[in-house]
Amino acid sequence: MAATELLTTKVRSEGLGLRRLLRSPGLLDRFALFVLVALILVAIFAPLIAPHDPLIPAGPPLTPPGRAFWFGTDQIGYDIFSRVVFGLRASLVGAFVVILSGIVIGGLIGLTAGAVGGWVDSALMRTTDVFLALPAPLLAIAVVAAIGPGFTHTLLAVAIVWWPWYARIVRGEITALRHRPQTEAAKLSGISRRRIWFRHLLPGSLPAVLVLATLDVGGLILILAGLSFLGLGAPAPAPELGAMSAQGLRFLLSSWWIPIVPAAFVAILAFVANLVGDGIRDLMGSME
Amino acid sequence: MSGPDSDAGVIVENARATTGEAATPPSVVARVEDLRVTFDRRGTPLHALRGVSLEVRAGEILGIVGESGSGKTVLGLSLLGLLPDDPRPEISGSVDVLGTDMMTGHERDRRALRRRTLGAVFQDPSTSLNPTMSVGQQIVEAAGTRDEAVRLLEAVGIPDPKRRMRSYPHELSGGQQQRVMIAMAIANRPSLVIADEPTTALDVTVQSEILDLIAALRADLGSSFVFVTHDLGVAAEIADRIVVLYAGRLLEEGSTADVLTDPAHPYTIGLLASRLQLRSPRDRPVVSLPGDVPDPESPPPGCPFAPRCELVVEACTDQLIPPIEIPHRAGTAACIRLDDARALRRSMHTGDPWEAPPSIEGAAVQLRGVTKSFTLRSRFGSAVKVDALRGIDLEVARGEAVALVGESGSGKSTLLRIVAGLEQRDGGEMEIGVAAPQMIFQNALASLTPWLTVRELVGERLSGRRVSRAAIDRAVDEALVRVGLTPRVARARSRQLSGGQAQRVAIARAIVDPPGLLLADEPTSSLDVSLRAVILNLLNRLRRDLGLAIMFVTHDLAAARVIADRIAVMHDGTIVELGEAGQVCADPQHPYTRALLASLPGESLETGGAAWQPRSS
Repeated sequence: MAATELLTTKVRSEGLGLRRLLRSPGLLDRFALFVLVALILVAIFAPLIAPHDPLIPAGPPLTPPGRAFWFGTDQIGYDIFSRVVFGLRASLVGAFVVILSGIVIGGLIGLTAGAVGGWVDSALMRTTDVFLALPAPLLAIAVVAAIGPGFTHTLLAVAIVWWPWYARIVRGEITALRHRPQTEAAKLSGISRRRIWFRHLLPGSLPAVLVLATLDVGGLILILAGLSFLGLGAPAPAPELGAMSAQGLRFLLSSWWIPIVPAAFVAILAFVANLVGDGIRDLMGSME
Repeated sequence: MSGPDSDAGVIVENARATTGEAATPPSVVARVEDLRVTFDRRGTPLHALRGVSLEVRAGEILGIVGESGSGKTVLGLSLLGLLPDDPRPEISGSVDVLGTDMMTGHERDRRALRRRTLGAVFQDPSTSLNPTMSVGQQIVEAAGTRDEAVRLLEAVGIPDPKRRMRSYPHELSGGQQQRVMIAMAIANRPSLVIADEPTTALDVTVQSEILDLIAALRADLGSSFVFVTHDLGVAAEIADRIVVLYAGRLLEEGSTADVLTDPAHPYTIGLLASRLQLRSPRDRPVVSLPGDVPDPESPPPGCPFAPRCELVVEACTDQLIPPIEIPHRAGTAACIRLDDARALRRSMHTGDPWEAPPSIEGAAVQLRGVTKSFTLRSRFGSAVKVDALRGIDLEVARGEAVALVGESGSGKSTLLRIVAGLEQRDGGEMEIGVAAPQMIFQNALASLTPWLTVRELVGERLSGRRVSRAAIDRAVDEALVRVGLTPRVARARSRQLSGGQAQRVAIARAIVDPPGLLLADEPTSSLDVSLRAVILNLLNRLRRDLGLAIMFVTHDLAAARVIADRIAVMHDGTIVELGEAGQVCADPQHPYTRALLASLPGESLETGGAAWQPRSS
């Protein structure tokens, strides 16, 4: 029966997304990607890379940068290079944890709101708006005041105000998808609601979430460093870039490297993360 | 027609005076010579035009006919000098319009030429007009003065033009928007107007009016028109001369009467034969061209039609075939087997008659007094209730095919969606006598979730039952073969599929577990002519093999006639005529059915050689 029609055999080949990512962006994007990956590797292998224990004084205090201590030592004698390496780790882990919690919480709420629609949608989105209205620093201060200072507590405070962005963007994508023929066809296929939600709807929000997440890395690193600068991070000797900068601030004129080096790394990290985020956004746009 | 000719001469003279060159003789408005345009799609060359030569004569309407991917739109943009700059495609050859080089000339000269002597009309008027400006402002931009703008609106048949000047585009119907576009195109009495599919987005009755308007304007202004279309029937209605474009090559050129009554190239012959008409046989498969159009990334080195051609010989596939003078009539065709092609026309057979569809007891759907209305809320809170369905009575028997035919807004799709369960009816009764009806959509690509493979999409209809993975895979392969695809397609995702392949996959999903009732929402209207026939044949065969009842929504009576046992003509939310398909088309009772039939394009077109009459003004 199929013999009467010529069998159509050829299908177009599919370009690999990863190959495109490495080939298409401009020089700046590729450079930023390289730096970011390098910094992430440094953070992952921090114990192997750091020459000294960041919590044990390694030499005389206030040693300027030199061969023995690449970034010098601080007022107590900690090796700043080792502390920066561990500080990068804290910054990146913090950013990833907040983003991950945002994707999970916001994704579920956005998916529910978008897929169900109606009053459920309205209720969930108005609740989301309430959380969106909370100022992160004040909330962090409140949390710290209530349950004591600590890195986890700061992350918790930021995570509470961060997920609404993801809920909004997922909800928007899902709502648009819900009325597309592909979803109607899936509904008529008689498949389970769970499968429609997680196989036909949720993956459609992935590109937008990915773009938001990569653009968020830079912002979160800044916010977390800022909160830590205000003393809302881990207690004193813990190697955090913001706190290191804050504690070294009074040596700015005598031993500039103590506050400047950690601050510079916050700036570099945030800058390259933003560049990579921009690159990924352009890439997603060109794939539409 | 003596008036327009002399008029045209004057305009062309004027135009030449302003550009001050004498490269083009006055009888030719535009000349394209060996034009090649290659786009770059992420590193892979995309061959849009591969050596096209043609001329547009003064005062004529030239129809450029081609399916999707033929390069017809790129050709139209080349004539306007509007090929994209960023990234600039690779171009060779020349485009000369009234002495101005549209490819390499200075942009200032090209802009001046466009402003003074060219006009353009595009497919979708709703996106071509600026929504933030009133219609009047936009026409004044082109026409210069208000009085002239009002005169133009009147000339294109907009009622009460003074008042309409203040309207914004969204306040006009699609047909009126296209009239406004045409008014802007003919401001300044252009020597050449490029119209790219100007009627494709419109209903058939509106299309017919716009074609009349263009014919009348040509007679009044003496301008040349280049009319780009995918529909030979539309070209037949309006063009004096036709060129047939396929995969970036010009395959045939000739007067409209010659091309339509005595087509020379095997592709033109096939295209004409696969065009559905009111006299196409209903009892057997309609003629279809096998295969798909070539991929513009890797077009065949020889004749682009060779892979689909019955007459192919080795010499066809070696090198590009240049246009050859047709021996027995005026015109050219790019084919080395013109003699055999003439015989092909007679031998084009349509296969054996269909066996009678199985008759099954009972009703697939019963509708009694079904109503539906939508509430449209304007921005200022006032709600407007629109009745989409006003009491529909319809019964579709098991195994029966019923076509719902109507124009946009007739309620035909709403009715289908209610049967599918995608919309809820407001009133009336509905009984569905079969399990879970399946639906195929107009935009098949959009109905396939892009990140899932064909295997997942087709197979998931069987999931959740107590069947093994292997059994599901087997069923998917079987369904794909049934719709004319190889099982290898199962690994593909939707963006790897052509439009025709996507529609077949959608059909495979619907029939992998035969549904008893198949709902088809304009499944062929976004497909090329040659594919349309293939899909209709496929549905006709599946219906017989699987005992499907079909509800087929379409605006095309000719397609409805071929697929359906009965036709229900819908207008304004009611069924105005319901009857046996052949009967409805041959002897329409309701005036609206008669109007629909009368506006079918290309019905006067005879492939046998009878007299062909161009649309006169």
